[in-house]
Amino acid sequence: MNKMASQKERAQIEEVIDEASGKVYLPPCQIACPVGEDIQRTNAMIALLPLDIQEASSQIIRIGDEIYDKNPLFPICSYICGLCEKKCNYKDKTGAVRRTMLKRFLNDCYLPYLETRPSLPPPTKEKVALIGGGPGSLMGAYMLGKKGYQVTILERGSQLGGALRYIPKYRLPKNIMDTTIDALIRIAHVEVKLGVAMGPDGKTLDDLKNEGHQAVFIATGTPSSRPLTIERKPVAGADLEGVMFGLDLLSDGNQGKLPPQLFQGKRVIVVGGGNVAFDVARTARRLGGDTSLVCLESEDKSSKDGIPADIEEIKGASEEGIRITYSRGVEEIIGENGKFKKIKCPQCISVFDEGGLFNPKFNYSDVIYLEGDVLLVTIGQGPERAFYQQEGLLDEKGRLDIDQLTLMSNRKEGIFIGGDARRVGFAAEAMRDGIRAAESIDRYIKGEDLKAGREKEYEGAAIPERKDFKPQPELVWAPVEERLNFEPFEKGFTLEEAVEEAKRCLYCGPCRSCKACVALEFQPDIPKVKLDEDSCIRCGNCVFYCPYNAAKLESPGAASFNLNNCHGCGLCIAMCPAIALDLEYWEKEHISTLISQLASEMEQPGILVFRCQWATFSILNDKPSPNIRYIELPCASRVDEFHMLEAFQKGVDGVLVVACPEEDCHRGTGSRWAQHTVAKLQKRVAEIGLQDRLHFCTVSSKDPKEFENELAKFYQSVEAPGSKESK
Amino acid sequence: MIVTTLKPLDEIMNFISPYKNIMIVGCDGCTQPPRGIKEAGTLSQLLELAGKQKNKEFNFKIITIAKQCDSYLVASILEPQTEGVEAILSLACGIGVQEIARIFPGIPVFPAQNTHFMGAEEREAGILEERCAGCGDCLLALTGGVCPVARCTKGLLNGACGGSKNGKCELSPERDCGWILIYEQLEKQGKLQNLKEFRPPRDYQLTGWRVMS
Repeated sequence: MNKMASQKERAQIEEVIDEASGKVYLPPCQIACPVGEDIQRTNAMIALLPLDIQEASSQIIRIGDEIYDKNPLFPICSYICGLCEKKCNYKDKTGAVRRTMLKRFLNDCYLPYLETRPSLPPPTKEKVALIGGGPGSLMGAYMLGKKGYQVTILERGSQLGGALRYIPKYRLPKNIMDTTIDALIRIAHVEVKLGVAMGPDGKTLDDLKNEGHQAVFIATGTPSSRPLTIERKPVAGADLEGVMFGLDLLSDGNQGKLPPQLFQGKRVIVVGGGNVAFDVARTARRLGGDTSLVCLESEDKSSKDGIPADIEEIKGASEEGIRITYSRGVEEIIGENGKFKKIKCPQCISVFDEGGLFNPKFNYSDVIYLEGDVLLVTIGQGPERAFYQQEGLLDEKGRLDIDQLTLMSNRKEGIFIGGDARRVGFAAEAMRDGIRAAESIDRYIKGEDLKAGREKEYEGAAIPERKDFKPQPELVWAPVEERLNFEPFEKGFTLEEAVEEAKRCLYCGPCRSCKACVALEFQPDIPKVKLDEDSCIRCGNCVFYCPYNAAKLESPGAASFNLNNCHGCGLCIAMCPAIALDLEYWEKEHISTLISQLASEMEQPGILVFRCQWATFSILNDKPSPNIRYIELPCASRVDEFHMLEAFQKGVDGVLVVACPEEDCHRGTGSRWAQHTVAKLQKRVAEIGLQDRLHFCTVSSKDPKEFENELAKFYQSVEAPGSKESK
Repeated sequence: MIVTTLKPLDEIMNFISPYKNIMIVGCDGCTQPPRGIKEAGTLSQLLELAGKQKNKEFNFKIITIAKQCDSYLVASILEPQTEGVEAILSLACGIGVQEIARIFPGIPVFPAQNTHFMGAEEREAGILEERCAGCGDCLLALTGGVCPVARCTKGLLNGACGGSKNGKCELSPERDCGWILIYEQLEKQGKLQNLKEFRPPRDYQLTGWRVMS
């Protein structure tokens, strides 16, 4: 460790490169997160929150700030994303760690604070314009603001948010979105110009250049709804009264333009199988419609033609009485007196061809008719091309001509394009484009190489060793009869539930890309295992005991350690029969010195408590007893027979080793091994009558009295007359 | 590895109580569990605590050597350390204890443990089991790598006997029948015909006191 580095610098996350593959080594969730949230670090911090909400609130704000730094839109993500959960190592065991819900839990404390969170220093650098007010631009604006640029967002509509504004309020509450976006604009000193159109009827890129903008990020999304087609031709009847695009319904609904019982007594048919189609169907249901949904895809999500909507959406919609007709296309929209009446639906026998391209095939001899009063078409969206065409940003085939790594246009320098306009994806992917463009723009303005060091490959960390996997908490939804309105219906986590869920996280990734323990000042830096090769007797204990596959023994030669994998628990050190290992910051000698010092200042009878630094129970700091002293260990499993005996040698009357219950153990196996070590020594000290003076116990953070009780019990057994004589 | 267990602390205390300056010598060789420098230290701590209870003070010198059965190592490493040492407590198997006694005839040497057998550890189960009886006529090539002398309770060379039940031995039902293990192993290797080969009775002249050059 660089002794000059400040605690804050030491707590900075490092990029860990796997030596064998040269790839960046991260937990799989963090590779999946497009914006690169430090998931492991902040999960570890949530797991350590005290269970009193007053006490916890300042730490929650701190955790929120940690996430905010990488993702200023996280309160929004906490309702609509979950890409990390799809790659969680826990997913195939008992279900992914519910990271989305964990972040949502932070909102209650964090959002009120966010309204007063200090702004970034005022911008001093060049002007940059961002076109479009969606998640891509917002993220880009924040990242540029952080780098000191003066940013302006130009939005055609009347409010910021872009496609986020289509998300129904029962899924993403308006106040969450407004507070988050307003704070970002204020914090990053973003100038917002609403009602500014680009393209044929509006401004040009030259106009922006003339206004002094050194670079432009274009993220205009995909505002155009795709019309129904069959065999690549438009479906007849799309102009009938009662036929509309689902997106318009969502937009109007969120702007409060629709009467609450718009579809009362009406039969509504939604066409489409994506999440947006389900948003439309569930909105129509909430507007009183007798709603059904028809899609090309099949019910079996695992097949190549499976329905793309999330399983939760399908379940929720079904519960709400929305009927789903799978594997049907729309061949014709049939009307009566100019009004929509029914659709003709042939059976869809295949959606994607062998090359994975959308190329639906139908069996026209198997046809059904679905009757209704309203038809809502929600089968996808596309970008508006006119502006890109006018500015010459398209290639010969009409596609955006950009560098996919830097997002800079290959046709115009200083013009960067991203978000859904580049590739339709999740909101977080548009945000990633904003981050990427901000980095490119910074390099472009500084005249640096746009690409150097940016192309990275990632390797996901494997799942650590565990005996048991805890079940995933069920999501709690309000009953159907209470949720047919636009209020959120998913019950959030309480503080206790959030802590429980964060403790499920396996912290799969390397320590140096997390450093939660350093940020929380448990230890000055990630401790390194130190090996004295001359003392190593090649017994293989370290290899056998290491839960993280960090120790290796190859013939010939001493043991060796892959410090990327090592979590610094110290179990291998406690188990080494040759005293060939030690742990930085927790050296054997250092602990010995502490024991001598504490033993000398304790009043008799003195009890020395070895406690895991991750244990979250309170240690009665409010009333320090002259008879009790604590030594914190990097993990309970570091507890060493040498140190326990040393305490007795120095005159300590009782040694208590306290760990978390196994199911709460930060490392999964630490508590079990600590118990094993103490039990082994207990048998031996029984030979000299000290069995009542050495004790192991686990204490849960849920019961604030448990530790006090354990301590009192132990104190009594140390005080017992028989016990005293044997000393 | 040589499987050992520590002697009761009282017994060790009786050995060493006439002395004050004692050297505890660990062995990094084949004792299992490992009885190296860490065990030497732990033992000294326990003995010191035990001594304190009896108002007896010891001065322990802690050392370990790679193999106590190697006379050269014992001589070269221990020799410079023996000044003032009144007694030696050895954490080796019986062989190591005897080597130290032979090389330092003037210093009393005591075993800190009992030596049991040549065996192996099943780490997951935490069990140490005898694997080799040192019979002097190794049969493992014929028996698929499972020793009938050490692992058949009766040491039969032509098994299994009628007392094998569900893969366990009639004499100790918790114990695997060695000959069933041999059968299973040979079956996997396609060498069941080995079982038809008759093995003559053991030559007990190959055991007992042995010396070779």
